[in-house]
Amino acid sequence: MRPYLLRRALALALTLLLVSFVTFVVVYVIPGDPAEIILGTEGSPEALAALRAKLGLDRPLLSQYVDWLGRALTGDLGVSLQYDVPVGQLITSRLPVTFPLAGLAMSLTIIAGLPLGILAAARHRRPSDIGLMVLSQLGIAIPSFWAGLLLILLFALHLGWLPAGGFTAWAETPGGALRSLLLPAVALGLVQAAILTRTTRAAMLEVLREDYVQTARSKGLSERLVLYKHALKNGLITVVTLLGLQIGHLLAGSIIIENVFYLPGLGRLALGAIGARDLPVVQGVVLCVATVIVCVNFAVDLLYGWLDPRIRYN
Amino acid sequence: MLGVLILAMTFATWSTVFAAVMPAPGETLTIAVPDEPPGLDPTTSPAAAIARIVYNNLLEGLVKVDMQGEVVRALAESYSVSIDGKVYSFTLRPGVKFHHGRALTADDVKYTLERDLDPKTGHPHRDYYEDIQQITVIDARTFDIALQKPNAMFIFNLARANSAIIAKEEVERLKSHPIGTGPFQFSEWVRGDRIVLSRFKAYYQPGMPSLEKVVFRFIADPSAQMAALRAGDVDVIGTAMNPESAVELKHDPQYRVIEGLTTTDVIAAMNNSKPPFSDLRVRKAITYAINRDDVIKGAVFGLAKPIGSHMDPLNPYYVDLSQGYEYAPQKAKQLLAEAGYPQGFEFVLRLAEPYLAYRRAGEIIANQLAKVGLKAKIEIIEWGQWLSRVYRQADYDMTVMGHAEPFDIGIYANPQYYFRYDNPKLRALLAEADASLDDNHRKALYEQVQRLIADDAVNVFLYNGPYLVGMRRTVHNWWTNLPIPAIDVTQVSKTK
Repeated sequence: MRPYLLRRALALALTLLLVSFVTFVVVYVIPGDPAEIILGTEGSPEALAALRAKLGLDRPLLSQYVDWLGRALTGDLGVSLQYDVPVGQLITSRLPVTFPLAGLAMSLTIIAGLPLGILAAARHRRPSDIGLMVLSQLGIAIPSFWAGLLLILLFALHLGWLPAGGFTAWAETPGGALRSLLLPAVALGLVQAAILTRTTRAAMLEVLREDYVQTARSKGLSERLVLYKHALKNGLITVVTLLGLQIGHLLAGSIIIENVFYLPGLGRLALGAIGARDLPVVQGVVLCVATVIVCVNFAVDLLYGWLDPRIRYN
Repeated sequence: MLGVLILAMTFATWSTVFAAVMPAPGETLTIAVPDEPPGLDPTTSPAAAIARIVYNNLLEGLVKVDMQGEVVRALAESYSVSIDGKVYSFTLRPGVKFHHGRALTADDVKYTLERDLDPKTGHPHRDYYEDIQQITVIDARTFDIALQKPNAMFIFNLARANSAIIAKEEVERLKSHPIGTGPFQFSEWVRGDRIVLSRFKAYYQPGMPSLEKVVFRFIADPSAQMAALRAGDVDVIGTAMNPESAVELKHDPQYRVIEGLTTTDVIAAMNNSKPPFSDLRVRKAITYAINRDDVIKGAVFGLAKPIGSHMDPLNPYYVDLSQGYEYAPQKAKQLLAEAGYPQGFEFVLRLAEPYLAYRRAGEIIANQLAKVGLKAKIEIIEWGQWLSRVYRQADYDMTVMGHAEPFDIGIYANPQYYFRYDNPKLRALLAEADASLDDNHRKALYEQVQRLIADDAVNVFLYNGPYLVGMRRTVHNWWTNLPIPAIDVTQVSKTK
C-alpha cells in the first residue's frame, strides 16, 4: 500500500504543477492585463506603466512564474492584485461557503438519486420506473441557474420560507448559514441527482442480469437480499466512479449558482478574478479545486478496492 | 379631564402618523450594487465602484458635487480666487475630525495634493493637479494653492472622488480600511459579499447622517437584485438597475423608481484613423443610418434621452444637438455612394460582454446599418479584452460604449484616444476654454466644441445613460440625477 500512496502523492504534486503552469500561461495569453483593467478607461500611459511596475507585471513571464512557484512552495500564494489582500486569506474566507454548498448538494444528490435509482431498477418497466425516468430526464434538462430562479420564486418570494440569496456566516448563526445554502444546494444537486438516478438504475439492471444473481434467486434468497447484498454492492462501482466525477461538476457548477444566489464563495471569487486578470487569485482557486478533485479521485480508487476485492493496489 | 384625554389621544394619533413619515434615526439601509470595488482607495484607482461607496460618505474633498450637479463647499468653509485666476485661498471648516479622532488641518490638504501629484503614488489623473505650483500653509485652517496658469477646471477637479483629503498616518490602509472625514466610517468588508459603513458620531455637521448603518451588497445578476429587493434583503438597487426591472417595478405601489440623467454618454465609437471610417462622408452616412429612437427603445426600453454630442444634459455647458442628424437611410446611401461605397462594406463591431445595454444597442445598430448595405460582423469580447484591444490599441472599426466620467469632452483633444480623432482646431478651442475664467466665454467655446465633434460625426452619439434606481417606499431623499458617479447616502433617510 505504501508505494501506492507515494505514487499517488507524486502524481498529485505533478498534476498541481502542471495545472499551475497551464493556468499561468492561459491567463497571460488571453488579451487584457490587470493594470489595464484596474485603470479601466481612465489613467494615462504613465499611470499604467507605474501600476504595471508596482504589480510586478513588467518582468518576463518565466521569472514571474518561478517567483510565484517559489513562494507557493512555502505556502505563500501571493497577494490579490485587485484586493491587495493575501490570496490564502481570500480563499479561506470563501471555503466555508463553497465546500458546505458542494457537500450539501452532494448529500442531496446521494439521498435522492441512489434510492430512486434502486427503486427504478427494482420496478423495472413498471409505472414507477417509467415515471422516475421521465422525471429524471426533466431534472437533467433543467439548467441549475433556471432551477435556482424557480426555487427563489417559490420558496423565497412566494412562500417566504428561505432567503432569496446572500449568506449568513456560520459564526453568526449556523442555522442561518444552512438556510442560505439550502436552495442553492437543491438547485445544484437537482441535475446531479437525476444523473445519479439514471446511472444507478442502469448499473443495477446490468448486475441483475448476471448469472450469479440468477443463482442467488434460485437459491431462494429474498428479493431484498438479492437487491442489496448482491446487486447493489457490485453496481456501486459505477456509481462511485460517477460520484467522484460529480464532485468536480458541483464545484464548477457553484460558479453559476453562487452568482444566482450571490453567495460569497470560491466560484464567484474565481469568476471575478478571471475577469480582473487577478492571476494570484485564479492560481490559488484553481490549485485548491484541483487538489480537492485529485484527492476525491484518490478516495474513489481506494473505495474500488473495498467494493471489489479483486482490485488491489500492490 | 375630557379635554386632557382628547388632547392626549390627538397627540397619540399624530405621533403615530409622524412615526410613519418621519425618518427613523438609527436605521440600517442595505443597497445592492452590481460590482465589488477593487479596493477603496480613489487616489490610486479610477474605478466608479470605489467612488460609489466612498464619495462623500466616507471620504470628502475640499469641495463636492451635489445632487443638482453644482460644485459646493465640503471641507472648505470658503475659498476665493485671485484676480489673475492663479491663486486659490482656502479656509477649512472648524471642528472637522478624521475617523480615527485627529483634527483635520491644512497640512493634510498639502500632503494629499502633493501625494496625488507624485508619480510614485500612481494617481490615475495626475493631470487634475498638474497646474499646481505651490501649496502654502498659513495656519491650521488656511492655505493658498498657487497655479502656474489659470485653470477653469481646477475647482471641478477638486470636487471629484479622486481628490479626497486623507490622513498621512492612515495612507497605508486606504485600500482596505479607509479613514476619512465623511459622515460614515468604515466598519467591515466581507470580500465578495458586502461593505458596511456606520455613522461617524463626531461628524462636524450635527444631526447628520440620519442612517446608523449602510450596507453595500454586491449582487451582479439583475434577477438576483430584483429577488433581493422583493424579498426585503435589500432596500435599494442602488445603481445601474436594468431597464426591464425598472419597468416591472414602476407598476408596483410598494416601490419607487427613479428615472434620471447621468454623466454617461453612450456612443457608437468609430476608429477615425482607419479607412473607410476616416472618411467624413462614411461617418455621416453611418450617423444618418442609425435610428436613435429605436436604439433607445430596444437597448433601454425607451428610458433614456437622446444626445447629439459628447456632453450630458446635466452639464451647465450642454447644448441640445440631439436633433442634428435625423434618421435618413436614403441620405446615408447617397453619402456612401459619394464616398465610393455604393454597395456598402463589411466591418467588425466589437461589443463588451459585461454591458448588456450596449450589446443590445450594438445589435440594433448592426441591423439598421445592414439596411444601407453596411454589414457589421458582431464580436462580443470580454471587458479585459475590450480595454486592451479596443481602448488601448484602437484595434477596432466600431464599438458601443458608455463614457461615465463627468465633463470628459477633453478626450477629443487627444489624438491617441481610441477614437483616433485628430483636429488641431478642436484642441485650440479646448485649450482656450480651459484657460478662460469668463464663464460666458467658456460656455460659448464649449458650445463650439460640441458642435464641431457633432459636425465631424466623430462618433454616433446615442443616448444619455439612464439613472435607474429602484427602492422600497420607505427610503427617502435619494439623488434624482447622477451628476457624478456616486451613491451619496449622507442625506438619505429611512422610515419604518
